[in-house]
Amino acid sequence: MPAFKQHPMVPQTTHDEQARQDFVSALRGHLSGRLMPGAYQVYAARVEPAFRSKHGRSPKDEHEVRHAMTEDPYYQFWSAMQRRSQELLWESVIDPTERQLPELINRARTLGKRGRGKRRGTLRLDPKLVVPKYHTAADIHLQPGGYHTDFTADDVAAGAVYDKGINLYMGGALGEENNLTGDTLLAYVREKHPSLQLHSILDLGCAIGNSTVVWARAFPKARVHGIDVGAPVLRYAHARAQALGVPVDFSQQNAERTDFADGSFDLVLSHIVLHETSKSALTRVLAECRRLLKPGGLMLHLEIPRGRTDIEKFMHNWESYNNNETFSRYMTDLDLKAETIKAGFAADAVLVDEFAPKLDVAQMNYTEHFLWKILAAFKR
Amino acid sequence: MAKRTRTRATAAKRPKAAKRTAARKRSAKAQQAPAAAGSPRLARVAKGRKPRYFADPATDKLLWMSLTLMEELSVTRDRLDVVERLLARKRLVSQTEIDGWVGDAKAAAARSTRRAAFVERMMRAAEAELAEATGRGMPMSEREVVAAVEE
Repeated sequence: MPAFKQHPMVPQTTHDEQARQDFVSALRGHLSGRLMPGAYQVYAARVEPAFRSKHGRSPKDEHEVRHAMTEDPYYQFWSAMQRRSQELLWESVIDPTERQLPELINRARTLGKRGRGKRRGTLRLDPKLVVPKYHTAADIHLQPGGYHTDFTADDVAAGAVYDKGINLYMGGALGEENNLTGDTLLAYVREKHPSLQLHSILDLGCAIGNSTVVWARAFPKARVHGIDVGAPVLRYAHARAQALGVPVDFSQQNAERTDFADGSFDLVLSHIVLHETSKSALTRVLAECRRLLKPGGLMLHLEIPRGRTDIEKFMHNWESYNNNETFSRYMTDLDLKAETIKAGFAADAVLVDEFAPKLDVAQMNYTEHFLWKILAAFKR
Repeated sequence: MAKRTRTRATAAKRPKAAKRTAARKRSAKAQQAPAAAGSPRLARVAKGRKPRYFADPATDKLLWMSLTLMEELSVTRDRLDVVERLLARKRLVSQTEIDGWVGDAKAAAARSTRRAAFVERMMRAAEAELAEATGRGMPMSEREVVAAVEE
């Protein structure tokens, strides 16, 4: 596993701060690698049989599985520890971020000015932007303040906390620059659409631009944009990209309705973003993607699998019920292809695909069988 | 919100001198430097509904606390490991010396007293319940106490 790369925007850690993060990694590795598979085992060994003897049939859906499983002591214990591990994860990253915040803000200001011409990225914030309710109602992934809260002027804390936090979340599997999701979609494009000419790329819900930078590196001649609703993550994204020497144009915009002109992009994509929106937002985002694409342009959304069996669906939706990914439960049985067609794409230009990652079970959190879901659609 | 009040109160207690000292000592590696008074404070509690995992909410809280203690124990062991390694590197105390250490009677007695006090403090919750159950000097009900103060 490559170690997390210490670029200039990553807060330094004292011995104890680092030891806390190391503990969180060890705890979460154990919970995912050793205890999580046990939840599937107790379901097969006692929860499902008990349900069957009481009702004369198996649970008919994920919800009946939920009612039965949340009464099981093994599941309760794993679930409660998984929740606490998520809170500890953020706490372990918030402490060093808070301690160095004024320095990090100054560094972001300096890095923002570095570079010239084509090698320099840009940042455009919109203080009037209304952060959607699906961000403000509950802090997604339990990160206190979410992607959008400014705790002070020119805040970058949410970005610093998120950068190290998501790396710990996946047990380092996201890669040394949290590049796994970007790499996955890039590998998909190279494998399935090798002849695609990309001059302009838009990354929706880019947060700290960890995936955006992957695309900007892979297509150095293309103009690469990243948008998000959160100001502190964008300030961080800009400083981070500048520190890494990768030019990206970041702007604070809602993917449901952006200010780019019709037909601006060859590729519009998102990396595990759709499940953090809402029912109505999803339709609007897909329609906006279509508006922004040039004819022949490609829309790509990377999504996490939602499970095939009811117990898998229930386990995947742990995030929805316990980790403030509220909308993800509605995506379990959602027909993404139908939604995309509803947004104006031609039926034969839409594909919901699966793509295998190279991950270890200790990094999976909720399943031993992981296949990325990819929604792909061409604009005619 | 409660978290705001708490963090602000903590911030007010932080000594400015600590920051100055840390700034002086700052080397390539980060030093332990508490945030100075007035510097921005981040939230520690996520907005959203907190799920309940066990039939008794107290169990949720106990598990919450024990994982936090587990974390701090892990941090303390890591830190002790640093101290032992530094002592060994400077040839002050070897790790074999620590492993083979046998205290004299005075040290043994002091350690034993401290250990017993620690156990006693941790187990007091059970003792209070026992005292109540057996009625040893404990009022049998809240009503009994209220009656006593209303007399």
